[in-house]
Amino acid sequence: MNTLKLKYLCAAWPLVAATALLMPAAASAQQTKLITPQQAKPALTPCYAKNLTDRMLCGSIRRPLHANAPTQDASIDIHFAVLPAINPLHPQEAVLGFAGGPGQAAFDAAATFVHGLRYARESRDILLVDQRGTGKSGLLQCDSLDLTSQFALDENNLDMAAITRQETALCLDKLQVDLSHYTTVAAAADFEAVRLALGYQKLHLYGGSYGTRMAQEYMRQYPDAVLTATLDGVVPFNQSFGAMGAASDASLEAVYTYCDASPECRQQFPDARAQLQQLQQRLTAQTISTTVRHPRTYELIELKLTRAKLQQALRFALYSNRYRAMIPMVVEQASQGDYSALVGLMLAQDFAADLSIGVNFAVVCGEDRPFWTAQSQAEFTKSYLGHSWLQGAEASCNVWQVKPVAADYTVPLQTDTPVLLLSGGLDPATPPGWAELAMAQMSNARHLIAPHATHIVASQTCAPKLISQFINQQSASTLDDNCLKQELRHPFLTNANGTAMTAAAALQISPVSTPISDQE
Amino acid sequence: MMNLFRTLFRKELLDASRDKRSVMAGLYYSVGTPLLMCLLFSVLFKQLSSSDELLISIDNADAAPALVQYLANKDIRHGEGDDVKAIRLVFSTDFQQHMQQGRPATVIIDTDRANDQLQTAIRRLERELGRYNSDIATLRLMARGIDPQLMQPVDVQLQDQATPDSRGGTFLAIATLSIILTLFYAAMNLAIDTSAGERERNSLTLLLSQPLNSLQLVLAKITAIACFSMLGLLVILLVSKFAYGMVPWQQLGFNISLNADFMLFTLLIGLPLALLSASLQVMVSFVAKSFKEAQTYVTMALLVPAGLSMVTAYNIAPDYLQWLPIAAQQQAMIAYLKGSTIAMPQLLVSGLLTLAIFAGCSYASSRLLKSEKVVFGL
Repeated sequence: MNTLKLKYLCAAWPLVAATALLMPAAASAQQTKLITPQQAKPALTPCYAKNLTDRMLCGSIRRPLHANAPTQDASIDIHFAVLPAINPLHPQEAVLGFAGGPGQAAFDAAATFVHGLRYARESRDILLVDQRGTGKSGLLQCDSLDLTSQFALDENNLDMAAITRQETALCLDKLQVDLSHYTTVAAAADFEAVRLALGYQKLHLYGGSYGTRMAQEYMRQYPDAVLTATLDGVVPFNQSFGAMGAASDASLEAVYTYCDASPECRQQFPDARAQLQQLQQRLTAQTISTTVRHPRTYELIELKLTRAKLQQALRFALYSNRYRAMIPMVVEQASQGDYSALVGLMLAQDFAADLSIGVNFAVVCGEDRPFWTAQSQAEFTKSYLGHSWLQGAEASCNVWQVKPVAADYTVPLQTDTPVLLLSGGLDPATPPGWAELAMAQMSNARHLIAPHATHIVASQTCAPKLISQFINQQSASTLDDNCLKQELRHPFLTNANGTAMTAAAALQISPVSTPISDQE
Repeated sequence: MMNLFRTLFRKELLDASRDKRSVMAGLYYSVGTPLLMCLLFSVLFKQLSSSDELLISIDNADAAPALVQYLANKDIRHGEGDDVKAIRLVFSTDFQQHMQQGRPATVIIDTDRANDQLQTAIRRLERELGRYNSDIATLRLMARGIDPQLMQPVDVQLQDQATPDSRGGTFLAIATLSIILTLFYAAMNLAIDTSAGERERNSLTLLLSQPLNSLQLVLAKITAIACFSMLGLLVILLVSKFAYGMVPWQQLGFNISLNADFMLFTLLIGLPLALLSASLQVMVSFVAKSFKEAQTYVTMALLVPAGLSMVTAYNIAPDYLQWLPIAAQQQAMIAYLKGSTIAMPQLLVSGLLTLAIFAGCSYASSRLLKSEKVVFGL
């Protein structure tokens, strides 16, 4: 049962999960504490990542847990994987991928990285390091709720802050860890140690979502090790995760704007916006108790439908153009008492399940919360998601007691290194404006926007080619971003099978009622 | 004894190097083949690489605008003009209606699968249509509150032990084939010249009238020829390293790189083959009655090593062939390039067989030189 709540935690503060997050800056003192380079080269053994057929080489190095007191016994094995270049024209360089979350393991996301870096890999190794506290590098994870328990949770009628505190305390008790050693600032030295251990002279960085912050922090601490950096779905130092609530709302608004502009959608859902507002109001006022089919077992299970669950489902659906196309239909059906499509949409959040809770809160509590002001909190609370995220972070952080990073952490990165920033115009987590904040002090940066892409442009567009060109030329100035402008939005689902015909098309294809045979 | 051999050897080397045309003809092969291959591969690559835009004809595109847009995002578009592949995609008129009713909507791919130039394009189109299928199916299940993963009862994860170096496949085989055959083609002119040619110039009788035995004479000739074969091998290795380095293999997901270790390895296992090549061709040339006849016979004899090499290259050799000379050496070279285990028993046995054939041919040639018919070409 205990574990059950934790899951809830994750579900309740969705901002944290699955997307870009934050990172603070600690101290330059760490720079001198690097692993000693004379260490023997780590042993590499063949390994395979999920959904990736290519053979990688995996290894690990031991690192002190306490960067400022390396003599203490506590240590952590940092695991990494190398995907060898197809034709190693630049054996002294590698492309280092930083995963999102915070708390996602890079190795688990290897297939995504390889897709985005497939052209870059033609001539350079790809290096993936599980950030401390994630994946194989000492995953900090607590049990989470299964789907049935999650569905049965009535957020409206429970003291969620109390539950969060209680679950967090249980998790802390289980992990017995000081999360202050797991911040972005603390983790940067591990990446540098892996670089030195493997003997790469220079790195090209590719960060996605929160990984962009990790990449920026790495550049801040080790500017000489970096040749180029590609930041995809940018999380600036001077932006709180709390602002993701507003970003998500804006992204949802774009769905409805597009619906208005699409004849099929407008015709099928003329009151789409009003329907959503009514549903939200209704669920805020009272929980709807109902019974639905379990999406996998098909058993009848209890669903306590609340505003929190609706917003959560919508939030994750916004990450993908495919699911965005379902939203007006889902909302209409739910308004009419049919919740099966909504249950389907709630599955979209499954991907957040393997995140490291420890790293997530190390970042939130150590690098984000210390910089909240009354003003910024008032701003975040304007959106439902921002409000609930703030509450959750507050309750959890009081338990975790992470030491805040240095006060200059939120200063934007200042660099001459070539930087390519990529943003999706429909991104519900890291909108294009965030990249502009990040590049304020970058003298050699270019920001490209894919207007119809959501989160992580490299997964949806021609960006992998641009990234490869950028790495080869070490300059973004000549990149042709035309191909980023392609239409990626899907036609809206108007029934459970697909898009309805327009009236004109329907007339042309009048039904033929005399089938010759019917195999069914 | 050694002195005598050394003198003979020096004489043969001198003879051979004086005939610059023969030497150069052998080396043309070594220099030209890799360059030609490099050119051919580059042309081939243009056909094989599919990452660029694929233009096809799309009929009745209005019936399925969503699918047309999906394909366009994958760089598959309707086109006009010369670049359009002979593939026609036809949407049935009731496509949208069937889609709407949840019935399979028909799409016809009209093309000629026997046309090799279209294979990659057809596969790509089928793959993308398959993805669209599963995309839509996923949405349909989600809209019913069912986890789309239920459609995938078994999660098949392929773990491929291949490395970029080992994926070269046929290209690797052709490259090694051209390298091995150098040992034979570089030796051909010299072998004929030093035997049939020497006989026609009447200097053979003069040599045989000296106080030496015919085996020494034959061995000196063979050694000299083998030296030129090895030179040809060295040249083709160097040129190949340079030429293959220019081919953008990585675009097809593999790599062929000839490093110094591989070159040394090839020179080592090539040495017995060079002796075999020289002794075989010298013997055949002596059997022939004239220079021209020798050319014909040697050319025919060379079909044997070329055939052995080719069945190895195309991987159609029965197992026992792997123990034979040439096949085994070529397998070893391929294995070395792929970074896989070299079949040592086969390599050793074939190495010994190679030397045995060399010994046999040399002895046979020396016996031939004891016959007046051979010496005078009667």
